Amino acid sequence: MATKNVLDTVAKKFVQIGLPEDLFKKNRFNLLVDRNKVIVRYPAPGVRSEVVETPTGVKTKVYVEPGTKLEEPVTLCFGAAETTEVQTTEGEIVVGEGADVKFQVYGAMAEGIKLKHKNKLKVRVEKNARFEFLDLHYNGEETFVELETETDAYVGENAYFRSVFKQTRGRAGKVRIVLKATVDKKGVAVFETKMIGKRDDEIYVEDVIHLNGEESRGISKSRIIAVDETKATFVGETYGNAPKCRGHIDCSEVIRGKDVTVKAVPVVVVNDETAKVTHEAAIGSIDKKQLETLMARGLTEDEAVDVIVQGMLR
Amino acid sequence: MTPLLTINNVKLTIDGRPILRGVNLIVNEGEIHAVLGPNGAGKSTLASLIMGINDLRAPDSGEIIFRDKLVNGLEITERAKLGITLAWQEPARFEGITVEEYLKLSGRNNPELDVVECLNLVGLDCSYLNRFVDDTLSGGERKRVELASVLAMRPKLAVLDEPDSGIDFASMEDIANMIKTMRDRGTTVLMITHREEIAEIADRATLMCDGKVVQTGNPKEVGQKFKTMCVKCEVRNPELVGGE
Ligand SMILES: Nc1ncnc2c1ncn2[C@@H]1O[C@H](COP(=O)(O)OP(=O)(O)OP(=O)(O)O)[C@@H](O)[C@H]1O
Ligand SMILES: [Mg+2]
Repeated sequence: MATKNVLDTVAKKFVQIGLPEDLFKKNRFNLLVDRNKVIVRYPAPGVRSEVVETPTGVKTKVYVEPGTKLEEPVTLCFGAAETTEVQTTEGEIVVGEGADVKFQVYGAMAEGIKLKHKNKLKVRVEKNARFEFLDLHYNGEETFVELETETDAYVGENAYFRSVFKQTRGRAGKVRIVLKATVDKKGVAVFETKMIGKRDDEIYVEDVIHLNGEESRGISKSRIIAVDETKATFVGETYGNAPKCRGHIDCSEVIRGKDVTVKAVPVVVVNDETAKVTHEAAIGSIDKKQLETLMARGLTEDEAVDVIVQGMLR
Repeated sequence: MTPLLTINNVKLTIDGRPILRGVNLIVNEGEIHAVLGPNGAGKSTLASLIMGINDLRAPDSGEIIFRDKLVNGLEITERAKLGITLAWQEPARFEGITVEEYLKLSGRNNPELDVVECLNLVGLDCSYLNRFVDDTLSGGERKRVELASVLAMRPKLAVLDEPDSGIDFASMEDIANMIKTMRDRGTTVLMITHREEIAEIADRATLMCDGKVVQTGNPKEVGQKFKTMCVKCEVRNPELVGGE
């Protein structure tokens, strides 16, 4: 593990792009990785983990003991303080029966750097467990990241899994996000993606939910704001394969500028007559009434757009 | 009495149909001025022209003057900076913005802003502060939050488009008192209403019909005229509003 000096340098660069300073001041990280180096590792109660450094990144295995209930989120950060060609992260998370935990994961790409980031994650949420995975991305305005991330989740009987991908700060870059879930009896899977693309960013988001268990539920919600020449595509697929399962796809893409290209593709497939899958998709510019309301309170048009967009991305 | 807002022979045609046919109206500084009139009379259209919303930046002819300034053609933000605001008949819903944030944004230039007080004045308690201004608020709650945001802003002129619609009968008095408080704190109020008991708190009232002002004066008299004449008026009555 790294010296305090190394940690301070990394902290400075990550705080610069918007990571909350308290994370470092109050030593909140259970795992902090810079490119392929583990900088901080600190155990969380009831959570067993293995972390291996590889030539280009890290491999992690996390096992949350059955029945573990944590008030505080397990806090991880996979970032890069300097340019590197490629960073690969691979993970496996098993949340044991009846556990209830939240992972807060920070992706931090320092100002001005360039890299390809590849991420593969396997998640297993066992019977009656609850797992929230908040994936918060911070990039610099002049950072360029090509991000490819794939999550494959199994949600067990009566279990709950919520995965949120949020690009909180900076430039999106070229992003490909694929989220897949198979949901068992009475299980619930919730996917939320919130992003903003600027300049020539390219965003591709694909949510695939297989509702395989009786009375399982799936929600796939996306909010994508496309500015300048951004290209954005959202594909949401939900398969209602079991009796009384319910799925909903809710995607809303806001375009701002003449040169954006935006696509939304909701796919709903139902293989059981008691299943029900619905979708709503909206692509359009910012709601005029919202805009005018804020302007009537004295905000400029740009300020109003900012408030509305930040609200949607919340 | 000093005029704060002067509407001078304002005409507007939409898709070839005359909607406002020479409206004249003066709102004096410090008054509550009610605007009455049947559905489709042009009340909300006039309100939109005052604020510059709905692509109604200026009338086809005529003038809208705020204090000494012609506001025809001004951007919404510029009008707001002069001290004009508007509360919509059907307010917008916002995803991910809390009531507290909304009130703070509205009142960001009000040094005495007290968001809890604003909520209390419209009959909502502080538990609403962290509710979202989205479709989880009921219709009446959303209307109240809109009025609270006008209180938060403390403008010189508030145009309230049916502040009473969607508000339950028992709360009418709260709304009436809130509008009086607004006035007592230095906001001149131009309010569109269909309710007699709300119109009665006004210092003066104007009756509009078919894109024209029929009468301006004492709210009781104007209300009476509305009831006796407009209700009987089956088609647009040229005698009542005068021809072109
Ligand atoms: N954008 C528009 N396009 C076409 N017609 C319009 C438009 N806006 C308003 N109108 C018409 O102008 C007339 C006046 O509408 P306005 O909304 O001002 O009425 P109002 O007096 O506010 O009525 P209400 O009491 O029902 O709210 C109506 O006949 C309406 O249909
Ligand atoms: Mg109206």
